[in-house]
Amino acid sequence: MTDGPRPLRMLRMSEQPFPRRRTPAAVTALLAALVFPAALPAPVARAAAAAADPADEDGFERSIVRIVDFSQRGDWSTPWEVSGVRTSSGSGFVIPGDLILTNAHVVSDARMLLLYLHGDPTPHKARAVILGHDCDLALVRPEEPGLLDGLPALELGGLPALRSTVETYGYPAGGDQISSTRGVVSRIEIHVYTHSGVDQHIVVQTDAAINPGNSGGPVVQGGRVVGVAFQGASDLENTGYAIPVEVIRHFLDDARDGHYDGYPDLAIQDSNLLNPAARRRAGLADDETGVRVEFITPGGSSEGQLEVGDVLLAVDGRPIASDGSISEAGLRFDFGLLVDRHQIGESVSVRMLRNGERRTIDIPLRLHPDLETHANLYDRMPRYFIFGGLVFVPLDNEMLKTYGRDWVSAADRRLIYEHLYRPLIDPPAPGYEPVVLLRRLDHPVNINIAWYRNQLVTAVNGRAIGGLKDLITAIETSTDRWLVLDLGEPGRFIVVDRAAAAAAGPGILSQYGVPEDRNP
Amino acid sequence: MRAAAAAAVFSLMLPAAAHAAPRRPLESAVVGLGVTYQGWDQDRPWVKRPPQFRQALAVVVDGPLLLTTAQMVADATLLEAEKLGLATRVPARIVRIDPQIDLALVTVDAPGFFDGLVPSRLAAALPTDGSVTSVRWKSRQLEVSTSRVSRVEVQASALRSVEHLFLLATTDMQGGGWSEPVFAGDRLVGLTVSQEEQQARVLPAEIIAGFLAMARAPGEYAGFAELGFRWQVNEDPALAAYLGMSGAPRGVLVTTVARGGSGCGVLHERDILMTLDGHDIDASGYYDHPRYGLIRFTNIPSEGHRAGEALPAEVWRDGRRVRIDLTLRPARSEADLVPDRRPDNLPAYAVLGGFVFRELDGPYLRSWGNDWRKVAPLQLQVWTWLFADDASPDRRRVIVLSSVLPHAYNLGYHSVSDLIVRTINGRPVDTISAVIEAFAHPEGGYHRIGLLPGGPLTEVILDVATFAEANTEIGAGYRVTERLRGEAPLPDLGPACSSVAP
Repeated sequence: MTDGPRPLRMLRMSEQPFPRRRTPAAVTALLAALVFPAALPAPVARAAAAAADPADEDGFERSIVRIVDFSQRGDWSTPWEVSGVRTSSGSGFVIPGDLILTNAHVVSDARMLLLYLHGDPTPHKARAVILGHDCDLALVRPEEPGLLDGLPALELGGLPALRSTVETYGYPAGGDQISSTRGVVSRIEIHVYTHSGVDQHIVVQTDAAINPGNSGGPVVQGGRVVGVAFQGASDLENTGYAIPVEVIRHFLDDARDGHYDGYPDLAIQDSNLLNPAARRRAGLADDETGVRVEFITPGGSSEGQLEVGDVLLAVDGRPIASDGSISEAGLRFDFGLLVDRHQIGESVSVRMLRNGERRTIDIPLRLHPDLETHANLYDRMPRYFIFGGLVFVPLDNEMLKTYGRDWVSAADRRLIYEHLYRPLIDPPAPGYEPVVLLRRLDHPVNINIAWYRNQLVTAVNGRAIGGLKDLITAIETSTDRWLVLDLGEPGRFIVVDRAAAAAAGPGILSQYGVPEDRNP
Repeated sequence: MRAAAAAAVFSLMLPAAAHAAPRRPLESAVVGLGVTYQGWDQDRPWVKRPPQFRQALAVVVDGPLLLTTAQMVADATLLEAEKLGLATRVPARIVRIDPQIDLALVTVDAPGFFDGLVPSRLAAALPTDGSVTSVRWKSRQLEVSTSRVSRVEVQASALRSVEHLFLLATTDMQGGGWSEPVFAGDRLVGLTVSQEEQQARVLPAEIIAGFLAMARAPGEYAGFAELGFRWQVNEDPALAAYLGMSGAPRGVLVTTVARGGSGCGVLHERDILMTLDGHDIDASGYYDHPRYGLIRFTNIPSEGHRAGEALPAEVWRDGRRVRIDLTLRPARSEADLVPDRRPDNLPAYAVLGGFVFRELDGPYLRSWGNDWRKVAPLQLQVWTWLFADDASPDRRRVIVLSSVLPHAYNLGYHSVSDLIVRTINGRPVDTISAVIEAFAHPEGGYHRIGLLPGGPLTEVILDVATFAEANTEIGAGYRVTERLRGEAPLPDLGPACSSVAP
């Protein structure tokens, strides 16, 4: 929360309930990942690999590649289906280990990846070996051994200074010639990473032209990589964002064991303690600062460690200001930056004030437990279960996106409440996932059911439903003649003739071209 | 309804000669109404918005009185009547208003005003085909347009608590929907309450007749009745069989029964309502109306009935038919947890510590504009959609911390807006009166405001020692002319349905 004049009445970030590092779709809609929708395959008639470009004084342009992703996504509105093939193009660059670093969104949902080396029209097959969707970074390895031999691995630099000049390299607009642009670092801040839609990490903002196709390309200063270009702001001019080295190193360190675990999170909400009365009541001394813990996500790192009402005074020995910021490199950032510097499994040191007592505790860090339900999902098929032509899915961000880009305003309010508010107001047990009757595959056995679109299913024959697998068990172990499904609206229910629906099931699947009745 | 109660003293007796008039031109049947009106600023509810003016039309009815729609005289600060052909306007006043059904009766005290005016007679039934005539006051002349009857349909009333017939007509009139009288021959068919493109929605003579009869009846205005329960279709043979019904499904399934509503205590969840007032209800919720064919059964409580009457009904319950009587209860939108429209009430609010507290209601949400469903704060919308009719004796209204008037006193909270208040100083607050009372009981030198999770914070702490001083400074600095306005008396909710003997 920040002070300032009352904003215009718009759907603002603070009006939606997201824990720290959670971001509403309304904000991410303004940002755009920078892959280029490559309608045509790569050019086929060109000269052989070019010799070193005399303009490429540092010689690193040869190490910047174009990546074409032929992708298919699951379709969450017909969860057994996949989309048509989408072709998009981005950039990447060689790093040590015969690997190419790029954005996760450049290589997500890939059916096939092709690499084009600088000045070489030959496509080379590759595969993504590590994807970090929460930091929008990925490692790609060519399938041909030795393909990257002779190409210099680019070196990582540090955080560029504000107002300093940087150059971006890549293949914007799908062109096969490398392009570079120059600009200044206009801001360094914590910002939304639109690929996951919920993560916020440090970014470098530059006015160097960053366009679709630049995604994954290096941002360079003094011959060293200081960032990876990854997103732009569609409503602002000359605003491009790069992932700084701090985040790149965190990703590479995490991936070192061949497996990516992701960013840890305290999974709390906090509020400022700027008001003198609030500071006094919290027990802060005149020279102390900190923030108040407002909410603790069940199953998250802070459960059992922090309590609502605790005042966080410092993280890893760094004092937290009463607006939640810490000082870093002459700038101020949200204290979450310090948590971001840890890996999952490590502990963060938190000094806090509780009931007048100051203490320091080490909090072992985990993933945020709501990531799967609130983030954009990639490289997987939707989960579902079909019984008697009734299609059940878990309630998550992808399900809600079936309402369209403006799902926040368009989706059924019961589902919005269940997804965004109930977890804060009446937190369910960890592991609970709401289940939705998504749709009906019309058949005489189900055609007269009154409610069959986007209905929350709360119970089957009186048994409360805690998730998709729970629903499957409740249906498949029932021996009752009727399956009575209680829906989210008070008093609303539907009844299924269990034997008739089971008997009709295979025919319905066949008729609608559904290969499996489930992907639980 | 306060206006309705206050108006009960006026005579609504029929004059003896009212029906003696022969066929007459439309000019003697209608009167122009000039309405100066002024609503409240929903963000700063101590301020009125700039006054505005609307021109409406009223039709002369027996009394003689002037009939128009309630929305035309809403928020009126000055009401004037104008006879066709005369350049002068004379003051008029409301004698009866029913915002629920959207009708108002107006009179003029100026001697001789009704001379030459002839009351219109109401059509006994709505035309189901052919043409009707719509009349509008424009540039001090009557504009007459022809409309083609499309259909008769059951829809929700203006305040959405009553369902009744509407006549839908395709009209040539541009920009109608402003209480234009609609005639079939010399009979009044209804008043237009809205128009979308060329489709006019006409409040029909049958509802007008009911309104006039109740307005003329001695004693308190009874009002139209609400159905009082939610229902779903019973088209699924599996569901009907599960409830023990054999043969083809029929009737509708009762899903929830509203506290204090017509079904309270006699209808149960999972009853199947088979008949109402002698009409068989089909599995889709329709019945065979003697004049209009298949229409939705929700019309029945307003079809010649009024609140207080008992309608015989049959329900399918526990595998057999059970006969019950449904006593019709008046529609009470004001009893809702989140009232959709507030025709009678000034917004209740309190400005304390620079925080503007108010009731969550439809007018506040609509202050975000026509697309409020997209742009109004999600938290407020969710509450409105999900819990609007969940009022209970210990939760009458939803209190919103709508905005902050920034001051050093409330530093740290300046960007707070539109959060739902749960408690103040540990006391649950569900009315502005409760807010004011709770601030009288600080805890240990602090005021503590507990907010519903979902926003940027859940607790606000304020200093008690400087509270009064801050109130004075903030009130003066932001020109808050009145820091408090309490709520109107809240309607009785009645006992919980489970405790009402059938």
